[in-house]
Amino acid sequence: MSQAPADQTDHERGEARPATAVALREPAHQVSPRAVTYWRVSALVAAVVEWAIVIPVYVFVLPVVFEDPARPWWTTAILVVSLVAPLVHLLLMPQLRFRVHRWEVTPTAIHTRAGWIDIESRVAPLSRVQTVDSTQGALMRVFGLASLTVTTASAAGPITIDCLDRDVAQRLVAELTEVTGASEGDAT
Amino acid sequence: MSEPSAPEADLAPGATEATPEAGPEVEWHRLSPRNLLINPVKVVGQFAVPAVIALVGVSQGDRGLPWWAAPFVVVGALALGAVPWLTTFYRTTPTQFQVRSGLLNKTMKTAPLDRVRSVDLEASLLHRVVGLSKVQVGTGVDDDRITLDSVSTEQAATLRQFLLARRAPTTVPSDQPTGQPIGQPTGQPAGDGPVGTGELSGVPPEPGRVLAEIDWAWLRFAPFSLARLVVLAAAVGALSQFGDQLPIADTAQSAWGWVHQFALYLVVLGLLVGGLVSWVMVAVTGYVVQWWNMRLTREAGSLHLTAGLFTTRSITVEEQRVRGVEMKEPVLLRLVGGAELSTLATGVGSGGVTAILPPCPVGVARDVGADVLETATPMGVPLVAHGPAARRRTWIRHLWGVLVVTAIPLVASIWVDLPWWLPVLVGVVSLALAGLGAEAAYRHLGHAATPDHVVVGSGELTRVRTVLEHDGIIGWVVHQTFFQRRLSLATLTATTAAGAERVVARDIPLPAAIRLADASTPGVLTAFLA
Repeated sequence: MSQAPADQTDHERGEARPATAVALREPAHQVSPRAVTYWRVSALVAAVVEWAIVIPVYVFVLPVVFEDPARPWWTTAILVVSLVAPLVHLLLMPQLRFRVHRWEVTPTAIHTRAGWIDIESRVAPLSRVQTVDSTQGALMRVFGLASLTVTTASAAGPITIDCLDRDVAQRLVAELTEVTGASEGDAT
Repeated sequence: MSEPSAPEADLAPGATEATPEAGPEVEWHRLSPRNLLINPVKVVGQFAVPAVIALVGVSQGDRGLPWWAAPFVVVGALALGAVPWLTTFYRTTPTQFQVRSGLLNKTMKTAPLDRVRSVDLEASLLHRVVGLSKVQVGTGVDDDRITLDSVSTEQAATLRQFLLARRAPTTVPSDQPTGQPIGQPTGQPAGDGPVGTGELSGVPPEPGRVLAEIDWAWLRFAPFSLARLVVLAAAVGALSQFGDQLPIADTAQSAWGWVHQFALYLVVLGLLVGGLVSWVMVAVTGYVVQWWNMRLTREAGSLHLTAGLFTTRSITVEEQRVRGVEMKEPVLLRLVGGAELSTLATGVGSGGVTAILPPCPVGVARDVGADVLETATPMGVPLVAHGPAARRRTWIRHLWGVLVVTAIPLVASIWVDLPWWLPVLVGVVSLALAGLGAEAAYRHLGHAATPDHVVVGSGELTRVRTVLEHDGIIGWVVHQTFFQRRLSLATLTATTAAGAERVVARDIPLPAAIRLADASTPGVLTAFLA
């Protein structure tokens, strides 16, 4: 890339971009703080299900399989890992995720960031948006949360904002629908 | 989606509207009556296996179909074969192409004329004997295509001409890349707002400019393209399915005894030569059958590909829908300087990737690619390498495989008595292979930005150069794994509606990724740059 003129650091749309622009800044808004509890509860549910399978297998099935009440040491190791790992997950993940998950909608584009180990940023111009959906799982409804998904003509390009405040999600859907309804063409 | 003006309607398909004035009362047309000749054959073909089983297999038992059932089968086939002809009608109104069909469940499919993006003609050997062609009309971004099976070949050609000439200007502005406008016979203004192909409909269609034609010297590339290996494997597989029923076991035993008289190396040699010869024959035959009379032309703002020895295909894609090209050099083909070229398009079905050239010299692929893109830069521009960090990532990713592969004999040796050198051998060999793969994968990585296109290099054994038009990009995904974050690398995905719907630059340095994205879609990222 050739060097653009320096010191044009204003972020005006359509203007020459600063040569030093080498990273995306983080999107402006965080998701609902209640998302942390929601993620923790759903991780807990998953963990409980996993424990409910692993523990009985260890206690009742393994002695039969190995025909020996003293199970091999490595099965115990697997048991410990499979008990502790979900615990670590549900303690660490929600906070990390909350710090990473951010979103921003400008009049022309939508920008989201998501993930906790792998991090993914997505940007799409609103002129290419085809549908705007909002979904709410049963558990999400308990916490008054909603997710928003924006699709484009590319199967690789749906953009989801997880766990917004329900009111924010509704307002955003209305806004986005209005903006995208105004753009012309078939958005391919 | 304003409708085209009515006076253009006189270019309707042959022998169609005598009354060009608009309106829903435009008469419906049937498929060609010649379908009555071939449809029963097709019906019989579909039911041949079950029918034969029913007739032969069951009649050996007690409750078989009696012999007098045969006429009913014939009459049934005739009747079933007549159904499509009796129930399918099509017509073109000033604004729409309509097909209604169905005996019990009636369906009516319509395509607004200004949404017609591709018109493909296909004629199998059976079709060609009676002079028919199947017409497939693709619209917009839907994969659902409207099929007319079949109309007479002349009518199909006229219909194609008509449908493609009647496209109204699209509403997406500045769709055409600027670049050097290579001798466009269509009067289509390149790089200049909406393309007015609709205005052409009064003018008789021009023959178009030939971009590529089959050169039988290219046949030398056929054996190096392994795409047909699948066919050969399938044939062998199918044969082995029947193997049990054939008296092969006895024959094989006596044959083995006969073979045993020769030295083993002769046998191996014979097998190798036999395999090679049959592979070359399959490859060459397939190449000839698929690419016979291949011709790629540009006419009236569309790319037009015809090819085929027995089944002739004629594929037409509106050039505005062509968002880029992809050049592939599989490892064997690269050894002999060959390449394959495909277009990435939207709304053409079949995954949006259309092979427009057979395996051919890499120079030809590059030139035709440049012709299609209307600029030579993206096909030739050297790619920017992704740097030492990317090389490290690529190597590490490949070395994980070595670990897994080597672990298998190691773990197995707990239970099974394995010679000590086996895990070592597996480790060394897989290490060498992984090293080769990693280095090749890294060398193929790369990216470049040209004034109108994003160019991305990828592939492991196959070197792939993907060129995507800026206007075809509808979003960006920057994905960073934990390890990529530590190295300040990212996987940049340009999402698009064309082709595989994504173009991925793996392990690209983050600053380069952002610069590439920002340069390709001016304004989209501006507000989000740090």
